[in-house]
Amino acid sequence: MDPASAGWALTVALFLPLLGAGILTIMPARLDREIRLAAVGITAVSFALVSLIALGFDYGDSGRLQFTTDVGWISAIDARYSIGIDGISLPLFFLTYLLTLLCAIYTTKILPSPGKPKAFLSLMLMLQTGMAGTFVAFDLILFFIFWELVLVPMFFMIGMWGGPRRDYASVKFFLYTLFGSVFMLVAFLAIYFQAGATTWNIQELSALAPFGSATFQTWAFLGIFLGFAIKVPMWPFHTWLPDAHTEAPTVGSVLLAGVLLKMGTYGFVRIALPILPEGAVRFAPLIGVLAVIGIVYGSLCCLAQTDVKRLIAFSSVGHMGFVMLGIAAMNEAGIQAALFGNIAHGVITGMLFFLAGSLHERYHTREIAEIGGGLLIKLPRYGVLLTFVAVASLGLPGLAGFWGEFTAMWAAISPGAGLMASYEGLYLTLVIFAAIGTVLTAGYFLWMLQRVNLGRPLEKWADEPLDDVMAIEWVSWTPLLLLILALGIFPRLIFGVQDAAVSQIIGFLGG
Amino acid sequence: MEAFLDYAWLVPVLPLLSAALIARFGKLLPGGGSEIGIAAVGASLVISLGIAWHTFMQGSPEPFERSLEWSPLGGGFIFELGMLVDGLTAMMFVLVGVVSLMVHIYSREYMHGEERFTYFYAMLSLFTFSMLLLVIANNTLQAVIGWELVGLCSYLLIGFYWEEKSNQDAANKAFLTTKFGDVGLIVGVIVLSAGMFELTDTPFNIGQTIDAAVGGQLSETTIVLGMLLIFLGCVSKSGQMPLHVWLPDAMAGPTPVSALIHAATMVTAGIFLLARLFPVVAQSATVMAVIAVVGVITLFFGGLLALVQDDIKKVLAYSTVSQLGYMMAAIGVGGYTAAIFHLFTHGFFKALLFLGSGSLIHAVHSNNMSDMGGMRKAMPWTYVTFVIGSLALAGFPLTAGFFSKDEILIAGEIWAGYGFATGNLVYYVGLAAAFVTTFYMARAVFLIFFGENRSHHAPHESGAQMVAPLVVLAVLSIASGYLFSPFSGDERNFEQWTATPVIEEGVFPFVDAGTALGTGTVASAPVVLAAAGDGSILHGPPKWHPDLLAIVLVLFGAAVALAWRLYGRQFPRPDPTSQMGVFTRVLDNKYGFDEAGYRFVVVPVRDHLSRWATWSSNVVIDGMVAGTGRSVRSLAEATYRVVDQKVIDGSVNGAAFSAAWWSERLKRMQTGDVQRYLGALVAGVIVLVLAIVAASGN
Repeated sequence: MDPASAGWALTVALFLPLLGAGILTIMPARLDREIRLAAVGITAVSFALVSLIALGFDYGDSGRLQFTTDVGWISAIDARYSIGIDGISLPLFFLTYLLTLLCAIYTTKILPSPGKPKAFLSLMLMLQTGMAGTFVAFDLILFFIFWELVLVPMFFMIGMWGGPRRDYASVKFFLYTLFGSVFMLVAFLAIYFQAGATTWNIQELSALAPFGSATFQTWAFLGIFLGFAIKVPMWPFHTWLPDAHTEAPTVGSVLLAGVLLKMGTYGFVRIALPILPEGAVRFAPLIGVLAVIGIVYGSLCCLAQTDVKRLIAFSSVGHMGFVMLGIAAMNEAGIQAALFGNIAHGVITGMLFFLAGSLHERYHTREIAEIGGGLLIKLPRYGVLLTFVAVASLGLPGLAGFWGEFTAMWAAISPGAGLMASYEGLYLTLVIFAAIGTVLTAGYFLWMLQRVNLGRPLEKWADEPLDDVMAIEWVSWTPLLLLILALGIFPRLIFGVQDAAVSQIIGFLGG
Repeated sequence: MEAFLDYAWLVPVLPLLSAALIARFGKLLPGGGSEIGIAAVGASLVISLGIAWHTFMQGSPEPFERSLEWSPLGGGFIFELGMLVDGLTAMMFVLVGVVSLMVHIYSREYMHGEERFTYFYAMLSLFTFSMLLLVIANNTLQAVIGWELVGLCSYLLIGFYWEEKSNQDAANKAFLTTKFGDVGLIVGVIVLSAGMFELTDTPFNIGQTIDAAVGGQLSETTIVLGMLLIFLGCVSKSGQMPLHVWLPDAMAGPTPVSALIHAATMVTAGIFLLARLFPVVAQSATVMAVIAVVGVITLFFGGLLALVQDDIKKVLAYSTVSQLGYMMAAIGVGGYTAAIFHLFTHGFFKALLFLGSGSLIHAVHSNNMSDMGGMRKAMPWTYVTFVIGSLALAGFPLTAGFFSKDEILIAGEIWAGYGFATGNLVYYVGLAAAFVTTFYMARAVFLIFFGENRSHHAPHESGAQMVAPLVVLAVLSIASGYLFSPFSGDERNFEQWTATPVIEEGVFPFVDAGTALGTGTVASAPVVLAAAGDGSILHGPPKWHPDLLAIVLVLFGAAVALAWRLYGRQFPRPDPTSQMGVFTRVLDNKYGFDEAGYRFVVVPVRDHLSRWATWSSNVVIDGMVAGTGRSVRSLAEATYRVVDQKVIDGSVNGAAFSAAWWSERLKRMQTGDVQRYLGALVAGVIVLVLAIVAASGN
């Protein structure tokens, strides 16, 4: 597939899931099995198409936008339908399609009450288009539409298929994110008018940057910051996350952790940094401080959790802290680290949520004390997987989690864009505290493993017939497990693809 | 032999393949996968010996370096996967290879019938790979990777019997204590690499870092801060006080693991890394002083702890702590060769002692020396080899431990000659600790092999697969010392083998060689002033030091005599070392480090800080969020009442987008009182967007 002429492929890949959602809605609800298989079919075809795009992608020129389409859309406001993919978008775009496919496969067998696969899968496919769209949209209005499109299906997924506190969690998720988006939208508008009210195009705006006064840069960045920081989520905007994650159905959590959170960090890299470089540099130390607070604070919260899923949810706060630390470094290595951490966290934490979901399926509880240990005896294969993924999540070298964390700290020792001169000591302190965060991370994961995996099973489970990892789980998990290993051994898979594109972003920063 | 260098990468890769193959196919094989492990480690050792021979014959060879550009890291910087092969690498290859192979062979019998036999072998191979990955690294980042993988293997093997809570705790303690040190290692590696950013696109490269440090291109801050941080990592990994607390607990793992990981190889990683970076270390008197002091404290106070142990593995564990202290102290007083020579010889005799203790434990089903006694008759091979190991550990003349420990003392003496008090410390405290070492090893030998059999079993000698490794290691516990002794040549010896051109030409820049042994420093120098130094890193071929030999012999004789008096004839009850009043209490409490670590670090973080964080998240931060939500909702309702009802009252278009319209509909899907706020926000956004559209349309 030729990246110069096959722009249609990206559009097709983007809207195929939405079309699929439409198809599902007209299928009769009684065709339970067929609906589930249709969803697998749609996501598989979309994934195949995205794989072809990935194969056709010109990796030698990954800084350039490829598979582009740029046509007029709402001429009244100069909004255009402009999409494309570069080295930064590609890994996230690919991950979105992979995870959705795996979720669809998983749903063929496992769907929480009240069932209704038709509604569930239609929402998931809608969600897919929304998520994928944010990673390829190069027009701020289009980006915003996709960004908001994501909210609605996830709101219903949590609200209808969630746990006992689903109503509260879903509304909180929706409102909190929406709250941030409002400021973001206002900032987009301000940018548009400040830049001459002619274009919403991200690349054109980046080329025009920096524009506006220092005050403008500060306020516009603050607006965008709120929108993205809530999504990431950065401390102290994180409180929607544990609730949403804990209550969401497994597939919802996987997509939430795997893709949704990444929209925030992606937004920083794609929009906030290049378009508002002065504001970004001004905010960088603050972002760094909040990021590291998030790392330490998130890990501490994990230590106090008694619910496996809530523990994993809080672990995201810490891990996304590393991603934001990379961004705060404002240099190429930092952005590289942030984007690598994005993918690694998506794969690892997505997998952890799969595991937490399956644990609940079997034990009907996620309370660590009630499970009470001995998983390695009761469900040996499952226990091994849990160990493997937990160890990956705590950042063991050789597995995916390491590269995002180490490189973020490494990059932050020498921040770019002139920050080194005045903030050298601050950043060194940040690196040290981030490193202490890795110890806490190891602490809560090992403690969790000790209490869940090791020892002997409790009396009450001893005679309970529980299935070890099932075939459908192997199918939907194996790709993630392989990715965890592959990304750990061959970091080039991500770093190499992003390199040129990241250089461009840093070029806009003037660093 | 040079051809072997090109295949040095196979040395770590073969055990990696072995680990994968054992994990996949081990259970299908008659030997449970052990045959794969033995074959792979054996092949790896053959290559290592070839490399060792080549580098040995060359004498302070220029390091052989090859690397692949493994991944870009951003900013044009590159992570290399590479190999740096010189005498130091070759020495470590041989040590790791020999001990690992012996442990692989030994474990076939020792672990026979274990439920997780195959898993055990896969982990042994994985560990061997990790350690060799660290050893072969040409850059610090790769070293970090190997280092952390070694830590994981250690965790998995300490917790091998994970059904028991105490073993789980030991595994966690080991991983987390060393991980704490890794904060230092990682930040240190980062700091050091940051100093290289301007100079190269491979900022982690060890050779380039050394050249930059020696060439004065690294700032003093970079070197001091970087190396002190890296040293923190070495403190935890190599069991230096006060982060040694994990090492005795690590004895919860199977005994062959203790031999391989927690005595002979992994715990030497910290020493190795400092040796690898020695030319950088040697730039700073501050760094060296800190290293020396920590080493001296560890070698002495670590050794004392062995006095009150009944568990033979604990005796050996604390002796390991103490011996690692000697190595660390040697690094701190400029004894580069002495440190790694002791690392080398200690690896053999400590592995021997652990495997010997395993043989005993196998026979009497207890770790406690109080359950042994009189074993020399039933277990002659174990007895003879164990005694050889003990003699080497105690530094008895003409054993390997004698030559290597004396080198450390001499290094202290030379350092004192330059006017550094740490040199005196190492010399005198090192001698005192040698007395302690001899005493507790003599105590162990007498308690285990002499007197009456106190076990409830009829002990029998272990089988050939366990005895053969003991014999091999016993031979090496003597022979390895002759690589660097008055009997070894001036050209072909351990020092020339493990030196690189940089080391060979290296001097300590802060040492004024002119004043060495001058009148100004003699007052602080030790009585034995046989050695001389000119400020260079290498001290030259060993000579006899009759005065030192005399002191060593006297101390040895006194310690053995004392031990014989107390333990020689029968097992004394109560044990005299438990009757030393305050002294015993202090040692039994392990100086309070474990307790303090638990009470002042683990409990506050795990139980208090964590709860505080969760509380502040749930109550304070989320409270503010909820408060904001409530205020906005009130505002929305006020707006609805005032603006909507009164101002646009009756306007159909207005109502369609009003908060009430949305919230009424949303209420049907959900219950909960935040709904109206949601509606208000959605409406707000849509109004905003419409306003923009309208504005732009004009």
